[in-house]
Amino acid sequence: MKLLLAHTRAELLALLRSPGFLIPTMLFPSMFFLMFAAPNLEGTAAANYTTGSFMAFAVFTVTFFQFGVGTASERDNPWSSYVRTLPAPPLYRNLAKVLTAALLALLAALALVITSSLTTPLNVPLSRWPRIFLALSAGGVMMGMLGTALAFLVSPKAALPLANLIYLPLAYMGGMWMPPRFLPELVQKLSPYLPTRQWMELVWPAIGGSGWDASHWLAVAGFTLAFALLAGWAQRRDERIRF
Amino acid sequence: MIARLENVHKRLGRVQALAGVSLEVREGELLALLGPNGAGKTTLVSLLVGLRAPDRGRVELGGRDPRRPEARRILGVTPQSTGFPPNLRVVEVVELVRAHYPRPLATAALLERFGLSGLATRSVSSLSGGQARRLAVALAFAGNPRLAVLDEPTTGLDVGSRRALWSQIRRFREEGGTVLLTTHYLEEAEELADRVVVLARGRVISSGSPAEIKRRVGLRRVRLRAERPPELPAAEKIERDGERFTIWTHDSDALVRQLVNSGLEFSDLEVTPVSLEEAFLAVLSEEVKS
Repeated sequence: MKLLLAHTRAELLALLRSPGFLIPTMLFPSMFFLMFAAPNLEGTAAANYTTGSFMAFAVFTVTFFQFGVGTASERDNPWSSYVRTLPAPPLYRNLAKVLTAALLALLAALALVITSSLTTPLNVPLSRWPRIFLALSAGGVMMGMLGTALAFLVSPKAALPLANLIYLPLAYMGGMWMPPRFLPELVQKLSPYLPTRQWMELVWPAIGGSGWDASHWLAVAGFTLAFALLAGWAQRRDERIRF
Repeated sequence: MIARLENVHKRLGRVQALAGVSLEVREGELLALLGPNGAGKTTLVSLLVGLRAPDRGRVELGGRDPRRPEARRILGVTPQSTGFPPNLRVVEVVELVRAHYPRPLATAALLERFGLSGLATRSVSSLSGGQARRLAVALAFAGNPRLAVLDEPTTGLDVGSRRALWSQIRRFREEGGTVLLTTHYLEEAEELADRVVVLARGRVISSGSPAEIKRRVGLRRVRLRAERPPELPAAEKIERDGERFTIWTHDSDALVRQLVNSGLEFSDLEVTPVSLEEAFLAVLSEEVKS
């Protein structure tokens, strides 16, 4: 517990002292929301639905980049090697990273809710928030795994451009920026096969107050497992090369 | 005995970094691991501190596998000074490391010992090279370990800082600590070590007291101009370039005496110390092969 606290503290301090990374990451989804979504939201139902989509987008941004680009840049850092000589299993440091990313994702989602409530007729009953939280967390874990896999698969330099190349289409085609029925026909056909779309199928019912279809939970769990296996394999491959 | 390697082999990519190394670190001693760059020192250390597993052979730390976290409770290591987490302050880095040990040194005492007291609230990214190096070495002692592994602790330090660091290493020993130190300065091994092990091309080629090792690997280079080659029993190797001769020797005093007594006409006599790297290239590499 002392170790978890020490590592979390170090991660948070480092993050707070790099506002150049922190503020854009947190505010980018809200800005996007203000420019492209908010002006067209007339009724409460549409506002709720779209706010849910963009909250998922905010969580996606934080978890995917925090684990994708963050982990990639650490692979090269001699400090990571040093920490592995300290008498503690890597669990504490990894858990500290998860906690930090979770906190950051929560703040980014909160920033979006505030932005939305100031500019749209957003109105989500309090009783729906536990399910929203659950759905957002599940997707955050899934995307953190995808980010980790990416970080270990490609060179640290390639991680950032490649992350952008994956992230923007996944968000767009998954229906995070506009409802799927407004997407081009081809994209509409592809969309259900994407992890982001399966995730949205959990977020939308949660924010709209309707029931979940178990198949989407299965799909998200399946994608999470697949990404976790890929990340584990990539990490072992990376260790074989370097150690 | 606090640490041990037994017939350890390790290949890194296409390089056989260690080829059958056996080594014991005894409780309370200061063992210097000496060798030119690329000898396998860093690989050996990485096995001992649990970063890598050997391909063959055994590595033990306090009787246990150093890959297990609890085995490393007796261990303190220097990180590379170029790699601190950039946004943390000196005192925060020290606290983070201390949190891993059951009975760490007090932060204020540690900072004071290594001349870092005035820098406690400075960001690690703003430290000078020498200050970062001192912080790196201080971290090896933060956990109050039984064994401190110092990988090239004084590389890049000025003479004053080097001496100050040496006195801290001695103090740790007086309190009963064991030190494994890697270096490519013969002088540093001579100053601090009880025992020296020389590593070259992944093998132990020599071990003994600093004085013995100095006799073996401490070479001098004698240059002179003469019309014909001198006959010198004290020479290890003589190179000729026209009238210029370069002679490698373990004992330049004896060599100069022999030179004078030989009656040979010579000029431009010059005696210079030889770095370990040069000594290996000139003479020792041939001995290793044979």
